[in-house]
Amino acid sequence: MNRNDISVINRRTFLKGAAGSTLSLPWLESIAKGVNSVKPPLRLAVYYVPIGVVRRSFFPGESQTEVPKFQGFLGGRRDQPDIYKSGYQPIEWTPTLEPLKKIQQHVTLITGLDRVYQNGTDVHAQCGSCFLSSAIPYEIKSSAWPLNRTLDHVVADYVGDDTPFRTLEFSCNSHKDNVESIHFDNISWYGTGHVAPSMRDPQKVYRRLFGTRDVENFRNITDLVLEDAHSLQRELGTEDRHKFNEYFDSIRTIEEQMENMARMKSGLLKASIKEPVAAYLPRGEYIRLMGDLMIVALQTGLTRVATMMIGPERWNTPYMFEGVFDKPRSHHQMSHNQAKFVDDLAKVDRFYMEQFAYLVEKMSGIKEANGATLLDNIVFTYGSGLGDGASHQYNKLPIIMAGSGGGKLRAGGKHLNMPTGTPLANLWLTQAQVMGLKRRRFADSTGSLDQILV
Amino acid sequence: MFGSHCVKCHGEGGKVKGKVNLLEIKNSATLSKNIDLLQGLIDVINNGDMPPEGEPELKPIDRKRVVSELRGILNDVVTKGRLIPKTPIRRMNRFQYNNAVKDLFELNVEVFSLPEKMMRSYGYFDPASGKIPDTVHVGSRPLGKSQMIEPRLAGVGPFPQDLRAEHGFDNQGDHLSLSPIQMEDFYKLSQSIVNSDTFTAKHCGIWDEFFAEPQEEGRELDQVIHQRLSKFLRSAFRRPVTSELVERYVKNVQYRIAKGESFTRSMKDIASVVLCSPRFLYLYDRPIKGVDDDFNLASRLSFFLWGSIPDEELLRLAESKTLSQKEVLTAQVKRMLGDKRLKRFCDSFPSQWLQLERIITSTPDRIMFPTFYANAYRASMHMMLEPLLLFETILIENRPVYELIDSNFSYRSGPLSNWYKNGKRTGGLPPTRLAYKRELLTSRREGGVITNAAVMTMTSNPTRSQPITRGAWMLTVIFNNPPEPPPADVPPLPEIIKGKRNETFTLRERLVAHRDRPDCAGCHLKIDPLGFALENYGPVGAWRDSYENGRKIDSSGKLFRKHDFSSIEEFKDAILAEKPRFVKAFSGHMLSFALGRKLTAADLPALEIIADEAEKKDYRFQPLLKSIILSEPFLNEPK
Repeated sequence: MNRNDISVINRRTFLKGAAGSTLSLPWLESIAKGVNSVKPPLRLAVYYVPIGVVRRSFFPGESQTEVPKFQGFLGGRRDQPDIYKSGYQPIEWTPTLEPLKKIQQHVTLITGLDRVYQNGTDVHAQCGSCFLSSAIPYEIKSSAWPLNRTLDHVVADYVGDDTPFRTLEFSCNSHKDNVESIHFDNISWYGTGHVAPSMRDPQKVYRRLFGTRDVENFRNITDLVLEDAHSLQRELGTEDRHKFNEYFDSIRTIEEQMENMARMKSGLLKASIKEPVAAYLPRGEYIRLMGDLMIVALQTGLTRVATMMIGPERWNTPYMFEGVFDKPRSHHQMSHNQAKFVDDLAKVDRFYMEQFAYLVEKMSGIKEANGATLLDNIVFTYGSGLGDGASHQYNKLPIIMAGSGGGKLRAGGKHLNMPTGTPLANLWLTQAQVMGLKRRRFADSTGSLDQILV
Repeated sequence: MFGSHCVKCHGEGGKVKGKVNLLEIKNSATLSKNIDLLQGLIDVINNGDMPPEGEPELKPIDRKRVVSELRGILNDVVTKGRLIPKTPIRRMNRFQYNNAVKDLFELNVEVFSLPEKMMRSYGYFDPASGKIPDTVHVGSRPLGKSQMIEPRLAGVGPFPQDLRAEHGFDNQGDHLSLSPIQMEDFYKLSQSIVNSDTFTAKHCGIWDEFFAEPQEEGRELDQVIHQRLSKFLRSAFRRPVTSELVERYVKNVQYRIAKGESFTRSMKDIASVVLCSPRFLYLYDRPIKGVDDDFNLASRLSFFLWGSIPDEELLRLAESKTLSQKEVLTAQVKRMLGDKRLKRFCDSFPSQWLQLERIITSTPDRIMFPTFYANAYRASMHMMLEPLLLFETILIENRPVYELIDSNFSYRSGPLSNWYKNGKRTGGLPPTRLAYKRELLTSRREGGVITNAAVMTMTSNPTRSQPITRGAWMLTVIFNNPPEPPPADVPPLPEIIKGKRNETFTLRERLVAHRDRPDCAGCHLKIDPLGFALENYGPVGAWRDSYENGRKIDSSGKLFRKHDFSSIEEFKDAILAEKPRFVKAFSGHMLSFALGRKLTAADLPALEIIADEAEKKDYRFQPLLKSIILSEPFLNEPK
């Protein structure tokens, strides 16, 4: 079967060997500096859900609204009345939000946030690839996408220099068929046209995070190519020789960076994390394993910024959702026919929410050096680029925030409704400010979302 | 002559009104030392830009005599001094890298998707047939739905796009340098290519002869590795490889196998190393030492016409030192023009030459032009392919290049065809795969690359046409004579205000009132007539006879202070009366693209020869390309 037969790890082995012992792993910097009481730094993570949600079962008070029809070209907006009062209110638990109930003190539901659709590119491709960019439409010259450096990289420009990885990009797209373009499959971009490629295979993730073979591999390469470079330089004229020095400089810089990273990682190896073995994993376990890896990376200081795309946009290829359906189902195809599949779609939404709840709960159990938990020191956002998978609307997006942002964010357990038309970028701007950036604008923001701050 | 006609402004009494001080020129020797000035003089005198209007005219016979004298000096300098510049060593751009990797491994899929390829084509391109079919299926990459989705290696992402140099191309040597971040990209990219799940025998043509476990009986494994690597390294590095070099790579493979890696794994690893070697990543000319230049030539040819590494036949001819022989070279050019890899030339040169990337971000006003945005896809998606298909047709069918100015046919999708008829897009087609049909044009208002909807739209702002922008585009693109950028202190053109006097102005009158400063006039005399000639085309390319305020459009003018015109048809005639000038300009663009550098005055004698040759062949495209390749700057050797 050509579904998620990804060569993966036996999760139990991993959890026994890895996650169990990682619970006591300290922040990397403290290893590096040999101290125990370093204040853990703030971290940022994003959990992206593709293809929108079923509004009736996600949003409080919408359970009786009409099932939306398929609308391919809505231009990004669907006008619906604002049914909430403005500002904070108690969360009214809906079937999709239900899994959050047990961790409700840690989460805030935010409604009323919008993005603006830029005509000319696919609605799914744009909602995912531009979710964390949210550039002003038509502002990015030379591209038909409102796609600029995404939030994670903008934040990492400020906080990412001291960690082995500036950012990490995770994807739970295990499809083997390569039918969709990178815009459907990536939420993290260095800039227009420059994707930050994501990691899909847990085993490769493990090796990337904890392996120290990079330096060895790289030396194996540099030995050869530097010899080529020396012999080539002898064949060049004077001016070319001068310019060609850039090649030597580049190789040297990369080697230095890799040695630094290896030095920092060698501290981690002592924590005896075992490499998981390859095996097929049911979808839920696969997502949770990728999430575990993300959490370990954030916890140990391999990075301070991570994004996780829980599945690709549009991709029609069916997935097996073990424990939810007994046959492989295509999330996207179902989303176009809500009249028929509305209940099954709600199950998919709830399934993804359960995984998010698992990660939040796990973060809340990880103690950090200052007595707080990882969740206390993170800004962790659940979101989708579509307000509904059938209407393809870019307004009224489903957004949930978890974490205390080092005490800068208001306590959870509430529902915050923003006035219609508030840009999603206002939230991104505020999160960037919480992370310490001194900026007053991000993408198409019109101001910061001070309501979420203490 | 300088004394009587020029120095009044250019130097007399220590005053330099113009930018050039001609009194510094004592004799032809001073001129020889400043060939850019020399070329500048030739241009302004030959083109009739100087002396300016209002000053005594030069007699035509004097003009001719001076020009030919100056050209003689230039020719002397160039031939004696070997001043033709060298293109600096440069890394491949990402378009070249994609093609080179694809050809090296003989992949039947792309390495990664490239938005800079403006057209997605569905199987019609067959240059050997000498004909573009009457109906072709194409799509617009940057604007079309799903255009980036194509068979490609799984999980391989591109490095950032290299942008077009100002008045140049994305392959310009001085722009293509390497930073540590890019090197890291290349390093990771090379690994992600060979480790891709779809990098398999099914998609990789050299799998059996390179990556597959050897099946030959009775041959030492070391011998097999040696033989496979020798061939592969020669293709990748585009030159003969020394035995020491091969030996180093062989040893690396042996080391990997000895460590317990499989044969295929080790060969994949070594292939990724090869992609990181500067001998693969960099384009360079080895300084000529007599024996090696045919390899320089082979690469120059293949990167020009195929955007990629030379194939085995080119390398073989380079090895036998026959490639540079005129007959052999001519035959190779013919072969290359008939090869499907020529599509890469069509995918990179024309869109950059026409600056078509500007249409991607053209956003006409939504209220004034609602049909531009109908069906969630911009009309520009249909527009941008039209000039590209015209270019391809003129090339493949070997038609005269002046049809780029004035053609009696065009390829259009149904909606685009309607757009020209009534400014509306009707007959919606699925945007992924658009059928473009060859239409015979009855009106000379249409046809050619200048007056098509794409260029007219991208040289307008959201609400109005911009004659200055259009004129500058004409000078830059069509005549390869880019105007100086405007000074920084130019105020914006005041918009029309209701009730104010300017409400009744034509755009021409508004502009005249706006720039009565004498220091602006010099350049604008050159720019403006070319833009106002196109005023009948509105901001989204639709024909109009008058402005919204009812004033009739005046598109008359004078081309190069020589040819009067009062309509677009007469304007096209005026350009056609200057065929040699257009062809020289067009060839200059292609030569600059071919060499990966800006042209200098030293290249201009070669352009004269190319233009003369072109005239003898009725300016047909393929002989023109051949003359470019046989030109002195391209061959990079003294005659």
